[in-house]
Amino acid sequence: MKQYIIRRLLQMIPTLIGISIIIFAISAMVPGDYITARANPNMSIEKQEQLRAIYGLDKPDYQRYFIWAGNMIKGNFGDSMQHKQPVTTVINTYVWNSFVIGIFALFFSWFIAMITGIFSAKFQYSFFDKVVTLLVFICMSLPSFFIGLLLIKFLALDLKLFPVGGMSTSGLNATGWTYFTDVLKHSFLPIMVLTMLSTGGLTRYFRTSMLEVIRQDYIRTARAKGLKERTVIFKHAFRNAMIPAITLLGFELPGLFGGAMILEQIFAWPGIGHIYLNSINMRDYPFMLGFTIFLAVLTLLGNLLADVLYGIADPRIRLK
Amino acid sequence: MTKKWNLMLVLLLSLTVVLSACSGGNNKEANAPAATNDTKETVDTTTPETPVAEEQSSGLIKATDVSLNPELAKNRKDTLIVGMVDPKGVFNPLFMETAYDFYVNYAIFDSFLEVKADGSYVNSLAEKIDVSEDGLKYTYHLKPGVTYTDGSPMKASDYLFTMKLLLDKSYDGESDPLSYHIVGAKEYNEGTSNDISGIKVIDDNTVEVSLTEYSALSPVELGGVYIMPESYYGKGYKQGNLESVKALNSKPVGSGQYKITSYKAGQEIVMAANENYFRGAPVVKNVIFKTTTDSTNMAMLQSGETDMDNINVSEDNVEELKALGFLDINILPNNGYGYIQFNHNDKKFQDPKVRQALTYGLNRSEIVEGIYGPYADVINIPQSKVSWSFTDENIEKYDFNIEKAKTLLDEAGWVVGASGIREKDGEKFKINFSATADNPVVESLLPIMTTNYKELGIEIVAEVLDFNAIMDKKTKGDFDMFFAAWGLTPDPDNTVFITKGAQNDAGYSNAKVDELMAKGKKEMDLEKRKEIYKEMYQELNKDVPMILMYQRTNMTSVNARAQGFDLSPYKEFPFSLYQVQLEQ
Repeated sequence: MKQYIIRRLLQMIPTLIGISIIIFAISAMVPGDYITARANPNMSIEKQEQLRAIYGLDKPDYQRYFIWAGNMIKGNFGDSMQHKQPVTTVINTYVWNSFVIGIFALFFSWFIAMITGIFSAKFQYSFFDKVVTLLVFICMSLPSFFIGLLLIKFLALDLKLFPVGGMSTSGLNATGWTYFTDVLKHSFLPIMVLTMLSTGGLTRYFRTSMLEVIRQDYIRTARAKGLKERTVIFKHAFRNAMIPAITLLGFELPGLFGGAMILEQIFAWPGIGHIYLNSINMRDYPFMLGFTIFLAVLTLLGNLLADVLYGIADPRIRLK
Repeated sequence: MTKKWNLMLVLLLSLTVVLSACSGGNNKEANAPAATNDTKETVDTTTPETPVAEEQSSGLIKATDVSLNPELAKNRKDTLIVGMVDPKGVFNPLFMETAYDFYVNYAIFDSFLEVKADGSYVNSLAEKIDVSEDGLKYTYHLKPGVTYTDGSPMKASDYLFTMKLLLDKSYDGESDPLSYHIVGAKEYNEGTSNDISGIKVIDDNTVEVSLTEYSALSPVELGGVYIMPESYYGKGYKQGNLESVKALNSKPVGSGQYKITSYKAGQEIVMAANENYFRGAPVVKNVIFKTTTDSTNMAMLQSGETDMDNINVSEDNVEELKALGFLDINILPNNGYGYIQFNHNDKKFQDPKVRQALTYGLNRSEIVEGIYGPYADVINIPQSKVSWSFTDENIEKYDFNIEKAKTLLDEAGWVVGASGIREKDGEKFKINFSATADNPVVESLLPIMTTNYKELGIEIVAEVLDFNAIMDKKTKGDFDMFFAAWGLTPDPDNTVFITKGAQNDAGYSNAKVDELMAKGKKEMDLEKRKEIYKEMYQELNKDVPMILMYQRTNMTSVNARAQGFDLSPYKEFPFSLYQVQLEQ
């Protein structure tokens, strides 16, 4: 197992090099740079050239790649052009806010999806199954800004149950428990919308994989030997149906840190998603590239994690 | 089984509640983000110019019923919450770039001069400014007794220190101090000297600046520098390396109205009043700049979570804000304008008659009305109507006139060919329009333009690209026409219309404009400058270097419990924060 993990980690190196080349090449091919994106009406040509020289944007692309990649190896992601701070500091400032909503939404969506998945499989084509399918598709197909704004209108403005946006009440200066509940209150709506959006797909996965398992011989055997239906479904069927879900869980890892661009914008949530989007619009290369690499590493790690867990959960799969 | 079913039923019901909320559908709310203006507009980075402006167009709609104020706002007795887009956290006047970082810095730092509502300048930190007769020597007398928020006194040498930071070789902010022409600036920048010979500190309250050449912009360029304490920022600074200064970006120390007590990136900046502020302690003890977005700013004003915000101007939004009743709504002209650029390197656009025809033949008022309703004006010179240099004397209005456009095109030699498209020397009149993606202006402009120009016998082919891609095409000269917007500086001097000017990527050239622009930059007398720019704008109006579209407006809504803001297109809200009072 140890050997396997080490080998997989070593394999990640050429993959990452490939990824970095592709990401850099795409960003270099996209027209414009930070200076053109700023489009400052007062900037003279001399000043523009001066700034490009300081940022290193005047060098040919291949040289820029090696300078950037070399710094990355040394752990230096560079300074964000927009924030005038090291990229790592900017990521660290915002990413945890995104993580808060991400982890809760992950938990709730998996929990709801598991339950609804199991029951719609158990009662396939029943009224319940049809209603769940309908609801799930409605949630999936409504755009997040639409649901978000509606929830703000009903729950925040009309019923005054939750604050409109942001992450904490301004001027409260709370600490400890009060701060915690304040953040909880603010995060309720974004978590709810994010959960609504991601539950749909998951439910379908779980339903399908459950349906497959329920038809297996060993389930019939379990029933035949007189086990209670509850034991059959939750112990024998559910566990086996969850194995493919491990792969899905591995893919969720980058999503936890990637932020939700549109959602953060709607609820004025201080997450990394809209910072990332902004960096792309403004051609803030160090941040844009640094964060993309960060997500790529997480994706690779998520894959590795899924494979390792798969081996543990399913003895039929041997890791070599 | 039944138990489980009950549980499922509960779950189901709760889901239905949520979803019925979804299907209810209030389109007004959902449409809000679609109305946002994605037009990329840049913010003025230079501080405005001396002279006097005409009076601002008064667009204040007073609150009708202050008692409608939400409890949340009423209960906040000593705190003002300002909603705005999140700043980038660059709380340092040297490096600030976005308008929102500017706002924070305005509240924290001061300079020798300060802008007035009419766009002219008054002394701020300076008690007196002496200018030598040749305009090459400025002597600043600092007011006595000014201190920074860390308690240390402000000295004239801090001005020299700030200038050194600006002129440092590693300086990568957007100010361009080398263009101020200070004696010895280049030597310091290149590292051949460790002092700026042109800035002499005479005593603790007096500093003298010498220039190699002057321009009409010099007084503001020099006086508009935000003074930073050497005792704080100078600790780790060595010539050629600004890293130690940048490291303090999130912990600023200035002499301004407020000081930052806490900063949560992306959420809020909490500021407390500077009790020793040199113009007297601010009345409101706490000010919070809170992050809002286009989708939440109106709702937050309504719920009382914020006291003021900038909301996109549209008829719907104005109506909605008015209906709330407790807001003072300021609608002010925006410092900028939208335009359609011609590529002057393209032969077909080199004939002024063609450019005039394309302006006459485009129903601009219909387009502008469609996007902004009554809250934008069609313009005919590239200047804000509130600027001192604005003129409408002998300015052709280019009202929509398709017949006149046809005549002009005929005169220019473009005649309707067999296919219904105009031709000249065998070339068909076809325009490739580079359209910005997701831009509401372009979306309503294109259909009208296509119809209008089709009637003229011109074919429009649109290509949708992102903003940066269009700017790139502009730099390379690979375009026919595109729509964009410029930000305007308070001073009419710019390089957009000068032959080979820094901003003149479209290849426009007009000897008369060049000459007048150069003359205007060197003239110190305001009345004479007015005449020069009037003549220049008349020439531009005749020559049509671009199709000018509109000057739109900005709307700042302030909860009526906060009184005392002095707002104008030139004077942003942070400048008058210290005068604001909260009515109980």
